[in-house]
Amino acid sequence: MNSFGRAQHNESVSNAIITHDLGKTYGDRPIVRNLDLRVPEGCVYGFLGPNGSGKSTTMKMLLSLVRPTSGEVHIMGRRMQRSTRRSILGGIGSLIEAPPAYGHLTGHENMRLVQRLLGLDQGQVQRAVRTVRLQEHLDKRVRDYSLGMKQRLGIALALAREPRILILDEPTNGLDPAGIEEMRRLLRYLAEQGITVMVSSHLLGEIDRTAQVLGILGNGRLLFQGSREQLFSRSTPDVLIDTAEPERATTLAARWSAVREGHSVRVPGVDQAATARLVSHLVQGGVPVHGVRRQEQSLEDVFMDLTGGRGL
Amino acid sequence: MGAVRAEFLKLKRSLSLVVVIALPVMAVVTGVANTLFSGQQPADGWHTLWLRVVVFYGLFPLTVGLAVLASLVWRVEHQGGNWNALMGRQVSSLRVVLAKTVVLTALALALQVVLVGGVTVAGKVAFDLPGFLPPRYLLVSLVIVVACVPVVALQSALSMVMRSFAAPVAVALPGAVAGVFLLMAGPSALSMALPYGLVGRATQLGTGAFADGGGVGAASVILLITAALGLTAVVVAGATAVLERVDVR
Ligand SMILES: Nc1ncnc2c1ncn2[C@@H]1O[C@H](COP(=O)(O)OP(=O)(O)OP(=O)(O)O)[C@@H](O)[C@H]1O
Ligand SMILES: [Mg+2]
Repeated sequence: MNSFGRAQHNESVSNAIITHDLGKTYGDRPIVRNLDLRVPEGCVYGFLGPNGSGKSTTMKMLLSLVRPTSGEVHIMGRRMQRSTRRSILGGIGSLIEAPPAYGHLTGHENMRLVQRLLGLDQGQVQRAVRTVRLQEHLDKRVRDYSLGMKQRLGIALALAREPRILILDEPTNGLDPAGIEEMRRLLRYLAEQGITVMVSSHLLGEIDRTAQVLGILGNGRLLFQGSREQLFSRSTPDVLIDTAEPERATTLAARWSAVREGHSVRVPGVDQAATARLVSHLVQGGVPVHGVRRQEQSLEDVFMDLTGGRGL
Repeated sequence: MGAVRAEFLKLKRSLSLVVVIALPVMAVVTGVANTLFSGQQPADGWHTLWLRVVVFYGLFPLTVGLAVLASLVWRVEHQGGNWNALMGRQVSSLRVVLAKTVVLTALALALQVVLVGGVTVAGKVAFDLPGFLPPRYLLVSLVIVVACVPVVALQSALSMVMRSFAAPVAVALPGAVAGVFLLMAGPSALSMALPYGLVGRATQLGTGAFADGGGVGAASVILLITAALGLTAVVVAGATAVLERVDVR
């Protein structure tokens, strides 16, 4: 096997989901464009984007619920399309847009339904229910469930078949902070079990610390894909200079677009070399520099940068 | 088949069970009331009673009832995330379509059982008829149920494609009217090719109404059953192809 072949092989083994140049156009409106997703096996992949950026549409294409206008989807090394979808879907649990379940039936009846439908055993159903901690509420009709309980039941229904991949579209939608925290724990736990979890959200804070890999969508394009650390390193945080003479320092550093901020001066967009030049300029100008530091940057800031301020 | 067993589970607490009981009971009560108000005993005993109840029932109410049942059975799939879940599982499109058709056929059978029971009770209680409903009406009942299958398959397909509850029922009504006109025009291939016409024809079997000769001959039974099965196969194949092709919204 040549090295190219091996590389390809490795790629398909370590990535549970791969897309090539995936695109969807409704009418003449491109909704998703040139998407090259790489979702590594056994991780939590956070799929982020503002409302209407195309997250649900993309996930529907991954499941072949919607046929792409262009490009390809590969799941576990197999091409996903209409002719292959039903067999590939056997290994995927999904929850798209709204939690499924029949409102006139109880949680228990809904679980039994999927058990019959997919020929599952009692143990698989019980494990799924225990994983989402729903065993207390199984005798209630689903229409009387809270939204959080519906989301958990939806995940239990998707989990019961013991899938290798879980695709969850905004599972934290409508949950309170405690519910969101519980969902985070659940997603981490599932990934520890070796399940590849792809989870979308329009709220960064909901999944930032849960996801090992992030994919950020804006206007149907993939703006970023990689780890949290890579995301941070991509944008340059502001430099803050502490000084006893902020007024003079701001004037001196005017060509770096410095702004005064209390007892310090904020200078945006300067890389390491520029920072060195800036500090030396200030020192030569007689400004007493007490400290130079980088602003702690929240993921929100980075996200806003990437999405051109449309984020969150 | 797991998909079929799952379908039956969805009937729990469903309005479809009310339809299955109320519709035939209403047909029986209407037929009995008409006879009682006319002040006469059914001239030809069980035969007259059957004719008064079942022929009218077969012209409109049955078709509309089947259409309502199909809409009820599909309604839950169009709610919330259920459609995405339905299409996001490994269960094939053919199985999805077949499971719905099977459960609707079971409901059509239940309709007929309630109808036969109602006619029997009415004959004994309201008119004190001798003996019991002649067995040939049980054979006719079986043919009626088989003739319901292409109708439920077609209505199921319509309710699958249309999210609206009422729209497929609104299609069934002119369908039933067209079926009646075709039957009034006499026996024709066209009336057998239209599911609504076929089910109307089956309910007239042995009554002498419209194009019926009044007997229950092997030839007409076999023709009805063959036509019903053929139509069902075509409709199921079509519905499966559609479900396989369409994208979710
Ligand atoms: N079937 C469709 N026909 C036409 N336009 C559609 C269709 N489905 C989605 N769109 C459009 O595609 C765009 C992306 O929709 P999508 O639901 O994928 O976004 P999203 O990222 O999931 O948003 P949200 O956070 O609100 O769920 C929207 O502008 C939407 O109006
Ligand atoms: Mg969405």
